[in-house]
Amino acid sequence: MLVPERIAYLISPQWGQQGCFWSLVPTGICHNRRELKGSGMEPDSSPLTTHVLDTASGLPACGLCLHLSRLEDLTQQWTELRKSYTDPDGRCPGLLRPGQMKPGTYKLSFDTESYWKERGQESFYPYVEVVFTITKETQKFHVPLLLSPWSYTTYRGS
Amino acid sequence: MRAAGQDKISRAARRLLSFQRHLGCPESNGLEPEDSPLTTHVLDTASGLPICGLCLHLSRLEDLSQQWTELSKSYTDPSGRCLGLLSPGQMKPGTYKLSFDTEGYWEERGQESFYPYVEVVFTITKETQKFHLPLLLNPWSYTIYRGSWS
Repeated sequence: MLVPERIAYLISPQWGQQGCFWSLVPTGICHNRRELKGSGMEPDSSPLTTHVLDTASGLPACGLCLHLSRLEDLTQQWTELRKSYTDPDGRCPGLLRPGQMKPGTYKLSFDTESYWKERGQESFYPYVEVVFTITKETQKFHVPLLLSPWSYTTYRGS
Repeated sequence: MRAAGQDKISRAARRLLSFQRHLGCPESNGLEPEDSPLTTHVLDTASGLPICGLCLHLSRLEDLSQQWTELSKSYTDPSGRCLGLLSPGQMKPGTYKLSFDTEGYWEERGQESFYPYVEVVFTITKETQKFHLPLLLNPWSYTIYRGSWS
């Protein structure tokens, strides 16, 4: 049975690490934490986290698709590590497993245009890409994105 | 009526300003701010000062090949501006990218930074419109927004 990737998460644990489209989940149902717990990865165990806020509405940006990639040292090509969607709180738990973090250059790509189109809003940026450097694999990194159709801010948070 | 001396100073000041602009944007070809359909302004929010000498590249995504083509390479002037990124006839609807070599800027100042570079991809729908893209930058964060020149 083919189901949209976003909804498949709700059905099968194997999609647990791909993220979910929470806006389709009725209030009170929470599969995410149970599934992540079953896979051995707690939501807050990731050494890399993000948080997307829609500053035009003053609300978290839910259901926004994002990709995490790493620049390979030898080939200088980007390798996608994860594709995910923000939850109702605008967060994306489990971007990286604790052992996956290593020093290097990473990129978070946010599919912002689709997010705004779903809301009938024109926007200036077809997508947002944030490229950053991780030097210490034991450190935790929080890379929030404050987003409106015409501007965005990113910063290294905690 | 203005004195002859005042005229000379005014002309010298104008020439200096024009010279500075040419230094900041070699490809500007003497374009005035009001001529260019695309401008940027880079500010260092850590020091509260404009960023001078920051290298930036403007590229456009080709419709057919979906490859980026570099249109210009420039440097910000002492006021942090880079005027004349595009000549008036160069603007056409499409997807553009401004790439700022921020790491090089911070390294010259002995400052560690989180971002090896900053890239902003944006869409131009009307070639007759003017676009101003300021970048507010420090080693650990940045903000980009669609502004206006005036």
